[in-house]
Amino acid sequence: MGFILRRLGFYLIAFWASITLNFMLPRLMPGDPVTRMLSRSQQRLDPQQIESLQRLLGVEGGPWWQEYFGYLGRVLTGDFGVSISRFPTPVSDVIAAQLPWTLLLGGVSLVIAVIIGNLLGILAAWRRGGILDSVTPPLLVFIGSFPYFWLAMGALYVFGVTLGWSPLRHAFSVGMTPSWDLAFIADVASHVLLPALSIVLVSIGGWMLGMRNTMITTNAEDYILMAEAKGLRPRRIMFNYAARNALLPSVTNIGMSLGFIVGGALLTEVVFAYPGVGYQLLAAVQGLDYPLMQGLFLTITAAVLLANLLVDLVYVRLDPRVRVS
Amino acid sequence: MLRAGAIAAVGALALTGCSSGPAEDAGADAGPLLTIPREDMGTFSQNFNPFSPNAAPMTTQSIYESMLIYNPADGNTVPWLAESWEPSEDGLSVTFNLRKDVKWSDGEPLVAADVVTTFELQRELLGGFDYLETVEAVDESTALFTFNKKFSPALFELGQQVIVPAHIWSEFAEPGNEQNSVPVGTGPYTEVSNFQAQSFDLLPNPEYWQPDKQKIPGIRMLAFAGNDGANLAAINGDVDWAPQYMPDIQSTFVDKDPEHRHYWFPPTGAEINWQLNTTLDMFADADVRKALSMAIDREQIVDVGMSGYTIPADCTGLSGNYDEWRDEDVVADCGWTEHDAEAAAALLDDAGYTAGPDGQRTTPDGEPFAFDISVGSTSSDWLSVANIIAQNLQDIGVQATVDSPDWAAVVAGYETGEFQTGIVWSANAPTPYQYYRNIMSTESVKPVGEQTFDNYHRFGSEEADALLAEFAATTEEAEQQRLMSELQTLYSDLAPVVPLFPGPEWGAYTTERFVGWPTEENPYATLATRAPTTVLVLTSLEPVE
Repeated sequence: MGFILRRLGFYLIAFWASITLNFMLPRLMPGDPVTRMLSRSQQRLDPQQIESLQRLLGVEGGPWWQEYFGYLGRVLTGDFGVSISRFPTPVSDVIAAQLPWTLLLGGVSLVIAVIIGNLLGILAAWRRGGILDSVTPPLLVFIGSFPYFWLAMGALYVFGVTLGWSPLRHAFSVGMTPSWDLAFIADVASHVLLPALSIVLVSIGGWMLGMRNTMITTNAEDYILMAEAKGLRPRRIMFNYAARNALLPSVTNIGMSLGFIVGGALLTEVVFAYPGVGYQLLAAVQGLDYPLMQGLFLTITAAVLLANLLVDLVYVRLDPRVRVS
Repeated sequence: MLRAGAIAAVGALALTGCSSGPAEDAGADAGPLLTIPREDMGTFSQNFNPFSPNAAPMTTQSIYESMLIYNPADGNTVPWLAESWEPSEDGLSVTFNLRKDVKWSDGEPLVAADVVTTFELQRELLGGFDYLETVEAVDESTALFTFNKKFSPALFELGQQVIVPAHIWSEFAEPGNEQNSVPVGTGPYTEVSNFQAQSFDLLPNPEYWQPDKQKIPGIRMLAFAGNDGANLAAINGDVDWAPQYMPDIQSTFVDKDPEHRHYWFPPTGAEINWQLNTTLDMFADADVRKALSMAIDREQIVDVGMSGYTIPADCTGLSGNYDEWRDEDVVADCGWTEHDAEAAAALLDDAGYTAGPDGQRTTPDGEPFAFDISVGSTSSDWLSVANIIAQNLQDIGVQATVDSPDWAAVVAGYETGEFQTGIVWSANAPTPYQYYRNIMSTESVKPVGEQTFDNYHRFGSEEADALLAEFAATTEEAEQQRLMSELQTLYSDLAPVVPLFPGPEWGAYTTERFVGWPTEENPYATLATRAPTTVLVLTSLEPVE
């Protein structure tokens, strides 16, 4: 219990530090939202309108500390204000509209990459020096080091344009209305598959290598020898003795990745025209949309901290040594 | 910037042909919807507030309409919600006579009070219209605008303001923050349907005042987070109208289906200028600016840098939008926009910028004649233009370096005057008044260090002030024409900026599902989807039988 309380205290301080950074960093960038808007519109906005726009968007500013405490208060009450680049849509609406798609895309690709990557790692380490062990890791690392943009465009071209197996854009067919009926779910699944697989392709190598390396260390442990000496079936030793113990670093990584899913997958969103928060974040940074940036950063921070907390809790369950220390 | 920010990657996707069936159906029996991509919005928000700087696409095109529409492609003015208008004799007021048969999409009639409310809101929320004294509803269908000073460009500014219904907007507590998710407008396609973050449909307005012109079943907008996705959709035949920049459009787009696919890039966009910071000694002399202008090869800039999508500028600095105002005598008379490296070199020699033994020129103070050309890094087409300029200048011994950080940093430098040279857009309005005002009036000049949003090059001429003031004060057409000719002569004498080319108005379409598009032969509008003329296209298209 003391362990968990200490962790909670640590997370509170980390949370405060990160929301403060969220407040400061965007304000260190040059320019202000209205002139950004003006330069992007290439003079389609009338310069005389700038003051009125600043007033309308509420970016006239005050002393920074006044803004800061106002911001802290609003964060605690869950009010992120109104987005500037999407004015007058509230930040929470902007994020809420995108987040489900980001979670779906990130979640599906993470689950596939983790399961397949770890399985490959376990098998490769178990048959050390076998075909799987000598061919797959270099191949996956090779693919993973391609520029993602190029790889995704190639996949879209081959499977979308030429073969026609995959839709070319968006999260579901245009004209459909989101609902829970089977036809819509199937449509969403067919749209998420190719973007998710493109992410899996570049990320799976890391999972596999990590698992393989830990497994090799675990395989040299005495209790594996002991299990073999007892005459247990190899499959049981591989999964229940070796893999289970080698899984801990992977769990940490899963936690980290879970948190970062919320940041979105910018390039995937651009190539596959998939909705999500990644492009929204880019647009917010380019347009100096402070409220939206703060909202998104805060969501990411909260997700990363929450995922880490979960990992800590799972660790307590998985690894008795943590409980003791 | 995405429009100009060409990314060649889509070329790879477009290498082979691949025609596909029509876009997915609308679910209605009415036939396919007119499908249009929007390349710079990754997702849509249901915000149809015309006063918002980032309303959903088509808000001010197909939902709300203006009293008149100026068509830059043909230079004509189309009466729209107003059937006629009369400026007063003294130039201090103008009367708009509204059509009597116009209804809002909720069935209420359009009245002059709507105009009054619109301008109240516009001035309260967004400012502008400083010359406007009062807006009154004389009767149900007559709106009277009075001015506090004579200002002839007012007619188009007032006429092109989209009108909102007073009976709806006076109810909103905070009109500026209103998302207006179920808009009531006078336009042809007002009924929002199936709004999703990635797409939405606009269906016909049941009360439209020109029912015979609502021939298409509706409009469908698709969201894209960049040009590549939108171009792929166009190349694949999934959209009907492609208003975004497409590299090498003939082979990537048209050649896939030459029978149906067409593009038309009239040079009616804003003039693109190479602006020299005239507060710097080296650019203070008009002869030096002219010499630099003569040193650059505009044919090469247009053909290579802009893929042949536009035409070289002339000595009036006017884009194709202002063809009616262009004084052909000025064009014929001047040579400083023609490529002539020898004359440029001679002019620089005369001005004291002589070449040393190594061929590099120095300023009269003995400093090397060298400077930066600033362009935002995402605009690959303008970047290649800047590189061509740098090469051309190298030929006459002038050292120009292309500097390409993020656009925000470039523009910040323009605004405070802390830049040397840069490639910059300009104002584009129905008359060249705003354009010349921003480029050479002393009123628009701010000292270096103080932020300005026009006249980045900080050049002002009192002669130009006088002519502009006279132009604003006169409503007689012949007199306006004469003053504009004088302004063009003055511009040609002073060379306040180095004009490069008029920005092309991008637009491509396919006649596979809809016909009746504007073309070079029938320029009733441009192919822009964000311009006041867009509604003219929407009310002219019809489905293929």
